[in-house]
Amino acid sequence: MDTFGHIINGFNVALMPINLWYTFLGCFMGTIIGILPGIGPAAGIGLLIPITFGMDPTSALIMMAGIYYGAMYGGSTTSILINTPGEASSVMTALDGYQMAKNGRAGAALAVSAIASFLADTLGIVALTLLAVPLAAIALKFGPAEYFCLMLFALAAVSSLTGKSAAKGIISTVLGLMIATIGIDLQSGQPRYTMGVPELQDGVGFLIVVVGMFAIGEVFSNLEEHIKGKAEIIRLKGRLWLTREEWRRSIMPIIRGGLIGFFKGVLPGAGATIATMLSYTVEKRVSKHPEKFGTGMIEGVAGPEAANNAATCGAMVPLLTLGIPGSGATAVLMGAFIMYGIQPGPLLFEKRPDLVWGLVDSMYIGNIMLLILNLPLIGIFVRILYIPTGILLSLILAISAIGVYSINGNTLELQMALMFGIAGYLFRKIDIPLAPMVLALVLGGIMEQSFRQAMTISGADPKVFVGSAICIILLILAAVMVLLPVVLPRLRALKEGPEDLDS
Amino acid sequence: MMRDRIIGAVALLLAAVYLYATKQIPTLEIGDPLGPKAFPVLLGIALIAAAILLFVETLKKDDAPPVKAPREDLRYLWLIGGVTVWTALYFWVFDHAGYLLSTIVYLLVLTAGFNRGKWRANILTSVLFALGSYILFVRILGVTLPKGVPPLESLSSAVDAVWAFAAKAIRGG
Repeated sequence: MDTFGHIINGFNVALMPINLWYTFLGCFMGTIIGILPGIGPAAGIGLLIPITFGMDPTSALIMMAGIYYGAMYGGSTTSILINTPGEASSVMTALDGYQMAKNGRAGAALAVSAIASFLADTLGIVALTLLAVPLAAIALKFGPAEYFCLMLFALAAVSSLTGKSAAKGIISTVLGLMIATIGIDLQSGQPRYTMGVPELQDGVGFLIVVVGMFAIGEVFSNLEEHIKGKAEIIRLKGRLWLTREEWRRSIMPIIRGGLIGFFKGVLPGAGATIATMLSYTVEKRVSKHPEKFGTGMIEGVAGPEAANNAATCGAMVPLLTLGIPGSGATAVLMGAFIMYGIQPGPLLFEKRPDLVWGLVDSMYIGNIMLLILNLPLIGIFVRILYIPTGILLSLILAISAIGVYSINGNTLELQMALMFGIAGYLFRKIDIPLAPMVLALVLGGIMEQSFRQAMTISGADPKVFVGSAICIILLILAAVMVLLPVVLPRLRALKEGPEDLDS
Repeated sequence: MMRDRIIGAVALLLAAVYLYATKQIPTLEIGDPLGPKAFPVLLGIALIAAAILLFVETLKKDDAPPVKAPREDLRYLWLIGGVTVWTALYFWVFDHAGYLLSTIVYLLVLTAGFNRGKWRANILTSVLFALGSYILFVRILGVTLPKGVPPLESLSSAVDAVWAFAAKAIRGG
């Protein structure tokens, strides 16, 4: 069957009643996770993976992806209504969105962010559909050396772009790679760094780290914020729609934001958060009234919201075609793929076209569902915000326990998750980004494998890593990524602000 | 900044420990020519390099303003420390007390601390959440959660029995 046939056939998979139901469930839970202040997409996916045990992998992944883009979609609500971004990628939305809400235009702000998200998402999925096949075809030509260089580049990009300091990003990455080496070495059968603990023989479970660092660690940070005091919720007033004037002002920012977002999303490390900042800066620059930004300009909501969601789709491109996630949340998504025994990457397009295209096509459908969930029904979801924070955070801790325990039924793993939680809390305090570590943990095993395979093929000659043009280009790009923040301090201005990317 | 230098020093220490542990891995003449040590050695070196890079970065930022008041930090240390110990305790008894009982007690104390004064809401949430999640995960989704050891297990068993009875009644019409 040709590619076009596969894409059409994907709709057959995505439109199966059971998969429609899981798309809906994923989008629904994603919206809630996006709205909940204490929990981001990465933690949300990690916590909800246990629900899908025993499900068909295609359905499970359709639901997981729904949680991912649903959470990115829903993150704007809290930015607008309580000036508390649900995710790092909605920080820019809060600048003008919250002001709009204070000016009595909360309905318009929510509407424009839902419409911008919908349009940009659709644009992003079309681009994903078009880009996936040629990219996967190129990736099929990659040998182990090329793969190793590609992963090195992805890790370098994420390390240097996610935090305020490149050095801290690299420390986070290397720690993740080190955790990935714990357990029995697959090629020699030697246990490494297990300290005689039998639970460590299979390595440190991915979910333990994700739930610990993102869910438990995030709750600890939030508890601290909670004790400090809390924000006031602005009640939803007025019609959830735009005036003709607001439409006219929003459409170009949506298109520009969508394009910026998609390309930033495809590149590793850049991701949604930086795309939103870039879009906001662009809108401010092209506007005739840049001084009014920050006082409730609808352009400042439309652009970043479009960028945020297009980047979400863009981030699916390297994940599906190369098997290399570019952010914390997509790394967790990849972890979910691997838990179902599915290795994302170019081969998947040949082996399981039904799964890949079923998943991509389900995003078209999920996107429509999200528009409905976020426009007419947003008033219902907003009620979640009235749950007292103290209760909400306590419940997330209990849910974390269920999530970790359900994997192996082991309480030692619960204690390990708690330790990662404390580590995650501390890392946030000292500005070490978490996304590079999780990404490194997911890629670590594959990275070492390709490193050793390449060296085996070359007879332990390290020149293999500069043996092809692709390798050399990727290595140069990786070096540029690490050196860029040092050489170009001007870029720092762009990165100041949110501490965490796409966590 | 002092704090970043400490982070760098801790990273160096970690690298040293990791490289020492790498040396302890026995090498056998099987598998690939590289063996299980080569990649970890590179990681150890990378961590040392990153720590050095961090030291270089701190040199540029020395004029940064000092961090916030230490007394406030200490207060949060108590808070996070308390939650950590309480959570560790919860995980400790998880198997023995069973999910239901341990979760109810765990949530009661947490909500009493972080949602002060709302006794009714807190008790209701703690009990209903524990019951609801137990039924959802164990009975409906088939996830394994601990029931607890004999005298304490009766709570889970009672819930199981009530649930089985209710399910039967619904199915029977």
